[in-house]
Amino acid sequence: MKAITANRLLDGEVVFWKSGQWVEAFGDAQLFDNDDAAVDAAVATGKGQPTVVVDVYPIDLTPSEGHWAPVSYRERIRALGPTNEPTHGKQADGGESIDALRHAAGAARSSGRVDLIRRK
Amino acid sequence: MYQYDIIDREFLIDRSNEFRGQVQRRLAGEMTEDQFKPLRLMNGLYLQLHAYMLRVAIPYGSLNAAQTRRLAWIARTYDKGYGHMTTRQNIQFNWVKLKDAPDILDALAQVDLHAIQTSGNCIRNTTSDPYAGATAEEIDDPRVWAEVIRQWSTLHPEFSYLPRKFKIAITGAAKDRTAAKVHDIGLMLRRARDGSLGFEVIVGGGQGRTPYVGPTIKEHLPVSRLLSYLEAVLRVYNRHGRRDNIYKARIKILVAALGAEEFGRQVEEEWAKIDAARADLPDHELARIRGAFASTPFETLPERSDVFEAARAASPVLQRFARNNIKPHKKPGYAIVEISLKAQGQTPGDATADQLDLIADLAEQYSLNDVRVTHAQNMVLPHVKLDDVPAVHAALAAAGLATANIDLASDIIACPGLDYCALANARAIGVAQDIAAKFADEDHAEKVGELKIKISGCINACGHHHVAHIGILGVDKKGEEFYQLSLGGSGAEDASIGKILGPALPADKVAGAIDTLVEAYLGIRTGEERFLDTYRRVGLEPFKEAVYAQAD
Repeated sequence: MKAITANRLLDGEVVFWKSGQWVEAFGDAQLFDNDDAAVDAAVATGKGQPTVVVDVYPIDLTPSEGHWAPVSYRERIRALGPTNEPTHGKQADGGESIDALRHAAGAARSSGRVDLIRRK
Repeated sequence: MYQYDIIDREFLIDRSNEFRGQVQRRLAGEMTEDQFKPLRLMNGLYLQLHAYMLRVAIPYGSLNAAQTRRLAWIARTYDKGYGHMTTRQNIQFNWVKLKDAPDILDALAQVDLHAIQTSGNCIRNTTSDPYAGATAEEIDDPRVWAEVIRQWSTLHPEFSYLPRKFKIAITGAAKDRTAAKVHDIGLMLRRARDGSLGFEVIVGGGQGRTPYVGPTIKEHLPVSRLLSYLEAVLRVYNRHGRRDNIYKARIKILVAALGAEEFGRQVEEEWAKIDAARADLPDHELARIRGAFASTPFETLPERSDVFEAARAASPVLQRFARNNIKPHKKPGYAIVEISLKAQGQTPGDATADQLDLIADLAEQYSLNDVRVTHAQNMVLPHVKLDDVPAVHAALAAAGLATANIDLASDIIACPGLDYCALANARAIGVAQDIAAKFADEDHAEKVGELKIKISGCINACGHHHVAHIGILGVDKKGEEFYQLSLGGSGAEDASIGKILGPALPADKVAGAIDTLVEAYLGIRTGEERFLDTYRRVGLEPFKEAVYAQAD
């Protein structure tokens, strides 16, 4: 599965694509099948919103405790907040989806990250 | 302390207004992100993992109480109540919103602070000895020269678009607390046999993916010729630096490619063409700047303080603090007090808004309105009367700021790593906390002695791992966080680049491996040898054997 992420221009907040909107919680993100052409279409739409978001890219997901979690730990930290301050960032909200992210392990880097590095 | 004049102040206000306009144009869609990014970076604003990060310069590591309080206020108002000290005398705020950044720059400008030269391919914030003007070791006050360079380099039109970023450090003491030899330019004040003051000029040091200890290209540059000589160095670099390849664009690559001698020759050739009368600082201007630093109102005090001696005789805690965190001052009856931002469980280099406010109060009451930040991510009260040390210690202790571990194993430098940084491959903070916990027993830590452990979450080496006694580099190994250990580096006057110990270790094995290294050291050290000295005597093998024999 895949989700689409970006940072919101105005405040830098990590956001996820949900049916044409950008939402803050990973648990609310729209999930796509790996070969879903809608991923490219949504990424393209996001990239066409330069006053709303920056750095739009898809991330790979893996199952965790009945939920989905980003495969790469970098993306899990983005979806949670910094691990040294457990009350900072999205993780402060708590809940099952957050717990599933916290417990997810193992990983390979998402393809989106590689593109991001190349651009920098 | 140097006071900004009306030109400096108007300049900062103009700059802030300019950035406000740029942010408005970006939000209105009149600029693309690619157009805007270099502009925000020129104002110290990065986009990190969770939010924007604002890096604020602390020129030559020096703050007054009002500035420190303003940083606390910004931490409280625009961040989550923290600031993070970097390894180059800057402070970073991790939770900044783009829309607030111009207001923050305004608030900084009101107290003569700014975020200029904290990013971009320009001459960055010049760093200096945090003990400047306080230590008896120094030949001349390096802040004078750092301020000269600040004024000269700020938005220098010729050097605002260099091939890559450019970092200068200055020390006036033989004991180097600035990592001068791993800077693009390191300046070490020296007095010649005839008594004249000069700089030893070191060029082309650096860390990152290609670490070098910089070679000396000039043994004795007369101080009056500093700016013309810097201009010549920068000009040679600007002309020949590798703009075609970001990994080869730093001056260290050019110096290594040409050889120090040839690079030095080209600099001399360029220097000879420069009109000194135009380029060098006029004597009266130097005298004005020097005067600002010479006016510290020290009192005449006896060498010995009965109050301090009685207090430390009665308190083992204060005694330990005195052994590790108090350094000799040039004036009788005064001390330099180091404030560790490396308490157990603390994020290395983080200070809360309340802690910053307290440090500001202490600076005002006890340290002649002077606070310093160090490249080792700690803070300093540079001018405390020995009589006042017990009170200062008590106040620091009440705020969790009296950890007696300066330069000990738990005084770890760590970059923000993958918890915050968009470039990182692995986390650094948690690893630092795990290692520090191994040295929570203060007697044990003191027995081990000076041990500089430094952690970077990627090869860019903001955590200075190449120049650590024990360096730790976070790497991404098939998507997992692994850590590569290196030994024998030093960022001080005896600078060296560490050697890799062996295959990288998983995160949960790192603290144990450090413990093993330290036990091995304790077993083979002789006399007063530091870890680094023992390593230099016996080499990598005994340590390698200890760590990897156990891992098998």
